[in-house]
Amino acid sequence: MLALSLLLAVTAAGCGGDDGGGGDEQAATDTGEDAGGEPQRGGTFRIQTDAFEWTGNFDPTGEYLGTALGFYSSLLVRNLMGYRHVGGPEGNELIPDLAEAEPEISEDGLTYTFKIKPGVKFAPPVDRDVTSKDVLYAFKRIGTPSLVAQYGFYYSVIEGMAEFTEKGGLSAKGTNEISGIETPDDQTITFKLTEPTGDFLFRLSMPAAGPIPEEVAKCFMKAGEYGRFLIATGPYMLEGSDNLDATSCKSMKPLPGFNPNQRLIMVRNPNYDEATDTKEARENFVDRWEMTLNTNAQDIFDRVKSGSVELAHASEPPEVIREYTQNEDLKKNYHSDPGDRTWYITMNLTQPPFDDIHVRKAANLIMDKEGLRRAWGGSVKGDIAQHIVPDTMFNDELEDYAPYATEGDAGDVDKAMEEMKQSKYDTDQDGMCDAPQCKGVLHVTRTTDVWKAMVPVIEESFRKIGIQVTTREFEDSYTVIQTVKRQAPVSSTPGWGKDYADASTFMVLFDSRSILAEGNVNYSLVGLTGEQAKEVGAAGTTSGIPSIDADIDECNKLQDDERLSCWQDLDQKLMEEIVPWVPYLDANADFVTSDAVTHYVYDQFAGEPGWAHIAMDPSAG
Amino acid sequence: MATVAPETTQAPLGLAVAGEQVTGRTPRQLFWARFKKDRAALLGLALIVLLVLLGALAPLISKLAGHGPNELFTREMTDEFGIPLGPNGEFIFGADKSGRDLFVRIMYGIRTSLIVGVVATLFAVFIGVVLGIAAGYFRGVVDTIISRTIDVILSMPILLFAIGIAAACSATATGCLNGLVKPGLSLVIFIIAIFTWPYIARIVRGSTLSLREKEFIEAARSVGAGNGRIMFREILPNLVAPIIVYTTVIIPNNILFEAALSFLGLGVPDRIPSLGRMLDDASAIFEDAWWFMFFPGLFLILITLAFNLLGDGLRDALDPRSDR
Repeated sequence: MLALSLLLAVTAAGCGGDDGGGGDEQAATDTGEDAGGEPQRGGTFRIQTDAFEWTGNFDPTGEYLGTALGFYSSLLVRNLMGYRHVGGPEGNELIPDLAEAEPEISEDGLTYTFKIKPGVKFAPPVDRDVTSKDVLYAFKRIGTPSLVAQYGFYYSVIEGMAEFTEKGGLSAKGTNEISGIETPDDQTITFKLTEPTGDFLFRLSMPAAGPIPEEVAKCFMKAGEYGRFLIATGPYMLEGSDNLDATSCKSMKPLPGFNPNQRLIMVRNPNYDEATDTKEARENFVDRWEMTLNTNAQDIFDRVKSGSVELAHASEPPEVIREYTQNEDLKKNYHSDPGDRTWYITMNLTQPPFDDIHVRKAANLIMDKEGLRRAWGGSVKGDIAQHIVPDTMFNDELEDYAPYATEGDAGDVDKAMEEMKQSKYDTDQDGMCDAPQCKGVLHVTRTTDVWKAMVPVIEESFRKIGIQVTTREFEDSYTVIQTVKRQAPVSSTPGWGKDYADASTFMVLFDSRSILAEGNVNYSLVGLTGEQAKEVGAAGTTSGIPSIDADIDECNKLQDDERLSCWQDLDQKLMEEIVPWVPYLDANADFVTSDAVTHYVYDQFAGEPGWAHIAMDPSAG
Repeated sequence: MATVAPETTQAPLGLAVAGEQVTGRTPRQLFWARFKKDRAALLGLALIVLLVLLGALAPLISKLAGHGPNELFTREMTDEFGIPLGPNGEFIFGADKSGRDLFVRIMYGIRTSLIVGVVATLFAVFIGVVLGIAAGYFRGVVDTIISRTIDVILSMPILLFAIGIAAACSATATGCLNGLVKPGLSLVIFIIAIFTWPYIARIVRGSTLSLREKEFIEAARSVGAGNGRIMFREILPNLVAPIIVYTTVIIPNNILFEAALSFLGLGVPDRIPSLGRMLDDASAIFEDAWWFMFFPGLFLILITLAFNLLGDGLRDALDPRSDR
């Protein structure tokens, strides 16, 4: 089940890679107000992207793309708990959305009871109040195998969820209920958990857990189908929703507002009542949203500059970033904020020479991280990463923690050689890796520009301590490193973004229980046992690999500050005692907007523009 | 296809100046007399000599410049956005995306182009000559098999196949055919040789077909010469001229082939400088870094131009009857 979380890595990774970044302080501050006085209502906000990369065809049950999570949470779906859709730590905090207030939690931490706000309605053609049964129905869809809930594992802590799925979910013959979710009346819903779960509310804020009307969705029982019939509860809905003929399954034709390869068009939901919402969560200035595909990224940026598109949802080439950060007139249109995502070089604990912790430490000390960052477009792309979890997710409390810091982040030959001397692969202890295993070490990377530009930096850095890597570029490099039996020793492919603001969404990468033969995201194979190695096809050094499973379980039981410091300790343990990565970039999420955008806000939860607060000049376009 | 046969006794083609005694000249003298009058060909030859020198002396040039071909000058030669800086006193051709000295890399790139172009062509010529003579000499089944193979290879979409082979053989560190074809330089040479030998083979086969009927072959056979001797001692020397001409025409094509493969990311690895790969890397940022596209492109043009000029000149000089 856990393997599915890789998708976010891929997508967030994809986004991270494609979205570029620019996190200098000056840019980060325009998260709040821009010039231009009071934001105005109205306007058609045009977005162009160079690739639609939906992972579940926009069906909230299965969809795992950060871009989609942003649209759902800001505009379309109201979960029990939601976000303010603003930048900074505030944007990572939960607030009640569909729920009237914070839930009642039992003393043992196992029972959560919510009261649903009255007056929240489904968009046309459903036109009725949202009830607790609609939330329950969403969970039934999560538990239905044919609908492929890509992060369904988050909800396996709910009592009876596993049994419900085993019986076939909604496709089961006869009655099938989730024993741990009760709906005593239309306004009340109770969740019973099998173990205390400190981040359960975060899990409830993920769009798959938002209400779904059974009368429409029951017609769509294959993965992704419901995406073209999504019935909104938020301030906006898919265009054409009001013309949907929902009298029978056959009469429903896909909504014109969404085509997975062409467009996403959202208009105001007439059933949305502002009184049920707060201004701090959603202000809804814009009248209409149009997101379309344009595979020519250069053209997208040209259009944004000329004002025929309001926002570019594509990777900025370095020259665009340079132009927007240096030209005084354009500066205000470049927005860059912490993306809560880490880019890193992963080292395989089973493969020589990286099966030796001294080599892994030396790799951290020698890597020219600033060189890597320039391959991305320089400091505007984010801060140099010194440990696993992005600083923003630790409230910057580990900001000064940099166990392998070097001057100018250029790598330090002396320090690295000192570390290398202690390795068995340095047979004459001169600080250079000289065993036969140090030659021709396979380095897996991507074929795209940023990754190609990183290759010389990585190769040269490793050479300084005698490790000669042979680089192979793969179009499907994620598949290569996720297939254990291919034994990739080192890869610069991956990045990982949070699902929600809890470090557990990073630690899953080091959980031995998440190791799979294919689709494995524990690339370093932390915690691998000899038995497991046989099962998944791992070879090389498969004994004596350290595990942090117990630490993860320990932290997961905790809440609030205790939880935070538990994860911080674990991050440090990983960096000092296990050293699975060379983290190099705490990446930003950056976007370029046109002059017509008068008020830009960043949504920390999704790592996307804060659509619910963005405003434009209504006369544009 | 006409050939220059040593046995021909026709009148010398060199101009006899009135009043001077008409002297017999060897074919080699005739060739040289014609060739040295061809200024374009001489220019081509001079360029090739120069480029070969530059390529051969690349390590020395690198040492003089003080920059290795893979040495990074990220801090000095890229700006804070990672965009390379242009030519200056120390980096006369500017830098590439990683801040490496473009001048030094181009010198090594010339070397790569020449090695791939020449080595791959030699392989192709070797295969093409052997199979071409065999097909033309033996005719029958042998000819059918070889000629149809040639037809099949020539009808393949070369680039697509090359992409396929390159991708398949680059998927692992060991390469394909049990490690015989390893990703990198040898893979590129292998692909190019595989797809260019048929051109040589066809021409050799055609000439062999007509040569094998000539009297001197019959004479050789009548004194008891075996097939091997006839093919390689009697026929082959008569094929030298067209082979040389076609070789010089194929070399620049193969250099461009390597550049194309590298441009598509299927050529030599990044550590081995390649003009094609430089052009690929430059394509994303050439508006901001003209030098990154200009200099590699210029040298690629020079190399192919030089070989083409030389090839034309050789053809004219070796085979005057094909003249315009």
